Amino acid sequence: MRPWGRWSPLRAVAAVLGTAFALSSVGSATAQSAKPIKIGLGMALTGGLSANGKPALLAMQIWRDDINKRGGLLDRPVELIYYDDQTNPATVPGIYTKLLDVDQVNFVVSGYGTNLIAPLLPIVMERKLTLMGVLGLANNEKYKYPNYFQIQPSGPDPEANWAMGFFEIAGKLNPRPQTIALVGADAEYPRHAIDGARELVKTFGFKTVYDKSYPPSTVDYTPIARAIKAANPDIVFVASYPPDSVGMVRAAREVGLQPKLFGGGMVGLQYTSVMTSMGPMLNGIVNYDFWAPERTMMFPGIEEFFKEYQARAEKAGVDPLGYYLPPYAYAAVQILGRAIEATKSLDQQTVADYIRKTEFRTIVGKVKFGPNGEWAKSRVLMIQYQNIEGRLVEQFKGPGRKVVLYPEEFKSGNLIYPYSAAQR
Amino acid sequence: MVRTGGGLLVSLAVIVGGILLASLRVNLYFYFAGYVVLQYVVVATAWNILGGYAGYVNFGTSAFFALGAYTAIFLIEAFRAPLPVLILAGGLVSGLLGLGIGYLTLRLKGVFFSIATLALSVVLQTLIMNWDYVGGAKGVTVIRPGSPLFGNWVRLLFTVMVGLAVAAVTVAWIIERSWVGRGLRALRDSEEAAECMGVPTLRLKLFATTISGFLLGVAGAPFPYYVTYVEPSSAFNLDYAVNALAMPMIGGTTTWIGPVIGAVLLGTAQQVATVTISSELNLLIVGVVLVAFVVLAPEGIVGLVRRPRGR
Repeated sequence: MRPWGRWSPLRAVAAVLGTAFALSSVGSATAQSAKPIKIGLGMALTGGLSANGKPALLAMQIWRDDINKRGGLLDRPVELIYYDDQTNPATVPGIYTKLLDVDQVNFVVSGYGTNLIAPLLPIVMERKLTLMGVLGLANNEKYKYPNYFQIQPSGPDPEANWAMGFFEIAGKLNPRPQTIALVGADAEYPRHAIDGARELVKTFGFKTVYDKSYPPSTVDYTPIARAIKAANPDIVFVASYPPDSVGMVRAAREVGLQPKLFGGGMVGLQYTSVMTSMGPMLNGIVNYDFWAPERTMMFPGIEEFFKEYQARAEKAGVDPLGYYLPPYAYAAVQILGRAIEATKSLDQQTVADYIRKTEFRTIVGKVKFGPNGEWAKSRVLMIQYQNIEGRLVEQFKGPGRKVVLYPEEFKSGNLIYPYSAAQR
Repeated sequence: MVRTGGGLLVSLAVIVGGILLASLRVNLYFYFAGYVVLQYVVVATAWNILGGYAGYVNFGTSAFFALGAYTAIFLIEAFRAPLPVLILAGGLVSGLLGLGIGYLTLRLKGVFFSIATLALSVVLQTLIMNWDYVGGAKGVTVIRPGSPLFGNWVRLLFTVMVGLAVAAVTVAWIIERSWVGRGLRALRDSEEAAECMGVPTLRLKLFATTISGFLLGVAGAPFPYYVTYVEPSSAFNLDYAVNALAMPMIGGTTTWIGPVIGAVLLGTAQQVATVTISSELNLLIVGVVLVAFVVLAPEGIVGLVRRPRGR
């Protein structure tokens, strides 16, 4: 080994940095000589959102394979280049700069979730790129970037539209509920959802009897459920992430919290693993969702997609049904692909202009974007879990378990009211 | 031994090198990756002043880092303050926190001090989550002002981080060679013995927590402009605490060069792993390398290099 004195620290630093940069440059040279149309993305393959990130990636891979089987886009094969963003926004600038400058991708698609889209927007704005966002809530409200499009059907006013269905249902109930409890985690999405819900409480004229948040690290939800029970609300609106959604439902059951309407904005209840582990405990909950295997939701191509997805899901070790995020992840790249095909162009502006003015028929139905890049019309579903027996996954594949109550045009059944009636 | 004049010359050369590198306009990705590595040089060096020299293991690194970032966000939201002000203010606020925490917790020793710093991180994160002005739990989007130096924010931030890394290392180098460093080493080896010998241990520990906090805040202050979106869970990410500890342990905690070597090696390995093999390996790399060094080379790379020379 060389003595430390002759091997100066500065030279050591320079050598390591140089080696790293040289390695990256090799990747750059390889990328430049490739012919496929490259679509790049960072995706949460580890970290808090990986349970959704992995299925989303699988859905995009299915789209890539579908397209390539049909001869690719513009007679060129499609290649997906992706990196794990670790569910950490701080990794996003580096990953996307690598995708754009070293891998030289033609288009970028966002990773999953609001927090991972937020640091990407300034990068795409600076380079005037087209961006397909995957399930972000109100990301473009500050920037108003015209070439941003987001596939989650939140609608033109994402915060307010999010819980609209829940309040529409509550407002039409007979006898009409009077009081409401709002509860949510101190985290990004729940705060958005609760803010929107507060506005809707005023609009619909309910009386708030409980409005509190809890830290995301909470493990015991029974004190919260007891406090809500003590306030005796007619409606309980919960905005939560998967661990707290499960915690709240279990705690509500345990302390006998029986409002007339329960649910609203709980993330996680849509996951197959949660549905099968909770089983009949879900009966009666009215919650947001994006898709359910009901007759009103059978858009062209969706059954074929799920057939392929479910066949590959087990091997990939991801959500076996994939009803929540995968079809939307597929639709996001489907729209991008359609726009490239239709315009016969890889020019960012041309593709963005086409996406902005076109109504697309996708596997999640008709999609038309509004001025802020969100769906021109909200289609956040409100579903009620009904008739769940046991914990077998097969029951969730057919209709009647997640009954669509809202919006009216996709309604597939009636609300069982009050909440306790659905639990019998 | 490098003399003061030589050291300053090397520092200046590195800063000029950084400016030249920023002017080269090579692939932007290198600036992004370089920024992260240099940020870890500052963080690891700052941690080492308290953890390495004084032997007080701080698990609350992310709290100081995040406080720097959130001070910057507050100043951006309130006054659109320029970057140098953000860095200075971020450092000062985190330095003050270091001083305060020093007063409150330095009576605790060993693992109890570490637990107290971890608790600090949790408390601070909860406070930030409930402070809506800086985005609260929702996070905040930071819009960078137009026309930065070098024509691009990333190049500017890279150059700034080169300067901050040099400054942090210089501070560590000066401390190490001054009576302060000797005092810190004395209290690391035996606080009672140092006290008996007349070493002002409390003052030295407060100095170390303040300087360490200041540098961590300085590292966090440009973070909002780097990432453009800050929310508590990423600003208070445990990665900062783990890396801040792992990097000096790997490089060597007894000297200023140890954290630099550790940060450059581990930081670069993480950056390369993220975009080549799989970032799932990132934490695994940190964990395995850390365990390997703790078991096989407790004095880090510096110790490994010195051992054959009998130093």
